[in-house]
Amino acid sequence: MEELKETYFTPVVPLDFGYNYRLGAYLERYLDGLKERKILGVKCGGCGDVLVPPRMYCGKCRRKLEEWVEVGDRGELVDFTVGHVSMSKGKLSPADPYAIGLVKLDGASCPLLARIKGVEAASLRPGMRLRASWNEAAESDYLVLDHFGPE
Amino acid sequence: MDDKVAIVGVNYAQGDDLGLTRERLCFNAVRGLLDQLGIDRHAIDSFILASNDFLEGRTISNVFEDGPVGAYLKDETKVEMDGINAVVYGALRILEGNYDTALIIAHGLCGHQVSPYLQVQYSLDPTYDRQLGLLNELSGAALQAKAYLRRHGLDEGWLDRAAAWELSCGASNDKVTRKLEGVDEAKVSSSAYLYEPLRELHCYPPTDGVCAIVMASAGRARELTDRPVWIRGFGSSIDSYYFAGRDLAVSPSAGEAARRAYAMAGVDDPASRIDLAEVSGLFAYQAPLLAAAMGLAGEEEAPHRFASGEMGKDAPLSLNPSGGALSAHPVCATGAVRVAEAFRQLRGEAGAVQAGEPKLALAHGQDGLCLQQNTVVILGI
Amino acid sequence: MRNVAIVGVGYCPVFVSKRNDVSIPEMISEAIHNAYLNCGLTPEDVDAFTFGNMHTFEGVNMPHLWSIDHLTALGKPVMRIATGGTTGMSAFHCAYYHVASGLYDVVMTITFEKHSEGDAQVGLAGIITPEIMTMLSLGIDLTGGSGMGGLGGGSAGGISFQATSYLHHSGAGIEHIDAEAALERRNAAKNPYAHLKDPECTAEKIAQTPIVSYPIRYGHICPTTDGATVCILASEEKAARIADKAAWIHAVANCTTDATTGNLIEGLITDPAEQMSCQLAAKKAYERAGIEDPRKEIDLVEIYNGFAHQTLMFLEKLGMCEVGEAHKMLERGETEIDGRLPVNASGGVVSTNSIGTSALNRVTECALQIMGKAEGGHQVPKKVRKALAHGWGGLMQYNTVTILGEAPLKR
Repeated sequence: MEELKETYFTPVVPLDFGYNYRLGAYLERYLDGLKERKILGVKCGGCGDVLVPPRMYCGKCRRKLEEWVEVGDRGELVDFTVGHVSMSKGKLSPADPYAIGLVKLDGASCPLLARIKGVEAASLRPGMRLRASWNEAAESDYLVLDHFGPE
Repeated sequence: MDDKVAIVGVNYAQGDDLGLTRERLCFNAVRGLLDQLGIDRHAIDSFILASNDFLEGRTISNVFEDGPVGAYLKDETKVEMDGINAVVYGALRILEGNYDTALIIAHGLCGHQVSPYLQVQYSLDPTYDRQLGLLNELSGAALQAKAYLRRHGLDEGWLDRAAAWELSCGASNDKVTRKLEGVDEAKVSSSAYLYEPLRELHCYPPTDGVCAIVMASAGRARELTDRPVWIRGFGSSIDSYYFAGRDLAVSPSAGEAARRAYAMAGVDDPASRIDLAEVSGLFAYQAPLLAAAMGLAGEEEAPHRFASGEMGKDAPLSLNPSGGALSAHPVCATGAVRVAEAFRQLRGEAGAVQAGEPKLALAHGQDGLCLQQNTVVILGI
Repeated sequence: MRNVAIVGVGYCPVFVSKRNDVSIPEMISEAIHNAYLNCGLTPEDVDAFTFGNMHTFEGVNMPHLWSIDHLTALGKPVMRIATGGTTGMSAFHCAYYHVASGLYDVVMTITFEKHSEGDAQVGLAGIITPEIMTMLSLGIDLTGGSGMGGLGGGSAGGISFQATSYLHHSGAGIEHIDAEAALERRNAAKNPYAHLKDPECTAEKIAQTPIVSYPIRYGHICPTTDGATVCILASEEKAARIADKAAWIHAVANCTTDATTGNLIEGLITDPAEQMSCQLAAKKAYERAGIEDPRKEIDLVEIYNGFAHQTLMFLEKLGMCEVGEAHKMLERGETEIDGRLPVNASGGVVSTNSIGTSALNRVTECALQIMGKAEGGHQVPKKVRKALAHGWGGLMQYNTVTILGEAPLKR
């Protein structure tokens, strides 16, 4: 088969769609809690795990979660990474180093992913105690819990 | 599983930019494979595509691909996951009894057309993770890398050695057209940090790729080739979406997928029975993590044996002699390429990366964040 | 080849325009919960899962990954299938092959769509953009003739070509499409899981709705619906222990043709009403099911009809009547719920369309009719021994067919 000369039109097509997601009752209640500086989770009646952020099902036990608990605003750093890039629409761009980590709040069974600020990256250690820092003026309800910093 | 379903031929290509439209790419792969086997598209009873609408930028992405792959007026369907799952589906269709042949065609153009990170990005919870903006494929992998290094007392130097080893295998692979010569530990450790501890060369490269595979029932397979590669078993499993609640240093679903595949294949002692494993490790720590999860090496020894080259092509159990997904990761086709690599190894057709004379091989594919979903296929000759 | 049965069906409680009370995973979990309830199985009983939806409508890639904890499927094999409008039936067929292969005994198919969360432009831009790209790469002039004319209507444009061709070949008129739409909206009123219900609907009422693109009226077009549908399949041996009434799969078949937008070239490559892939899929299905005369043996049909004329058109293409007969059967009342050959007793896609579920709902509705479990008054009075479910999608090119029976096929 002879080699066909491949020249073809290569337009760049930015496709931008807007979506409006329903959060469901669990996440709505969680975000309402953040406004009051409360971090809410749900407790599984089967395994006893306290899941934050809350959701309708414990996947392991396949049970619907009904018991609400408030967990502490302090906890232990499980692990962290320092980001040197940020990602937007799948593209990477350089960023001033910033730390994000998994913080296991007192009373929760699994950690929460959050930004870590106020601690030198070199000083971050798993096991160190951190505390939630709030920003009620945040534009997004999700960022009212702004970051975790030194206890 | 006995001799019931076999792979009779493969045709695949990978590269940074294959310079073709996806229609032309798929057509070339299928045309080449059909010619290789001396058949035409009417010999194919079932067409199974594997690709992704988001990455193609069009909904029902297979509508324009059916023609080029030869599915006009034929039975056609599309698996929207890693292509290894299309191989499993092909086996199910042949086992059902109504089909003697199936053509799997998996492809992706994340090398040059669209960012591969969107595969995971769009899969994240839009009501939470995407709103928080902290989690993406790389930051998740970095946290998993951290967990793995801590669990096994490894330092970043180990990551560099593991990456350099795997990439050096890829440099010898004629099927990887990425420029890998001269990539050594120094080159890896001087590549830029993305999310610590992961540097650029610890992470898979954006890759274009296509993989066509023809499968057949026993009788038909023996007509099409004198060296069919039999599907001995397969298994798939999936972990919780909520990765923060998982122990990131291990992959339970990779282990479960392998257990199911071994059970179907009658493999009691994988570490001694499996001669070759091609796993889709997207980051330098993943190949040994997966090997241990699948019982191919001990958890403690796996990282050391892998990075030191002790599981290379001359070893009794070779792990990723092709260079794995760290050398080339054509999103949607990667797991199918692992199957194709295992196929040519079993037939002694792997050229410079040939790892001895393997009789039983394992191929693996994954989807999701931090090894959330895994599929394993066992092949034998 | 072993026999496979449908042992359980689960719908989410309602199929409506907006489920504002639940997130996507929560909505899907409702249908799963109902499926278990309806057949007495538990998650431990299920060996594997298949999952399907048209994800561009929600903007979530491989949504089984995100929802997995809500799907009772942790640890198990989950295969995702996505084929446009036929997705629901393609995912169902995938589950069928899982069981028929002999390797899995009980498999669940999960489908859903939550259109209310989606961008309205997705459907158009998601397909039209690649159409334009393909036309450009083929050197087609976008500015002339049916190039732009068809594009202007988007999928409605292509569909109106199809409807016009159907009317021409069958001798039916727009009034028949009006009557078909009215019949299905009346049927939907008897189906608790339908969306657009109108117990008083008449052809005249439909005829008063504006023309979108002749002969398609607003009243002929399907809604967008939020909903989830789940179906549980079992091997012959397991089915006997699970369900006193099951619906048995006699045949599955699929065929695809070229992507026909109706705008692709000056004039058309393929008449979008020809639906050769439907004719071939149906033939294959009848062969596999050992059916020599479908018109005598099939008792009930569920047709994928995003647009009302398609019920009549596909009835002919499926070989259930001669070309030109479908609208006469309609006139004679033969396709009513209490007619000789009930068609779309559920109200069809034209009354309920959460796309991921739409092709599966054709199967589940046939299954429920065979099992005698259709609720709300749309259970047909005649005994349903064999039923045919049809799915359609893509750029007017994909056709899937499933034939169900009240007893296992003698092989």
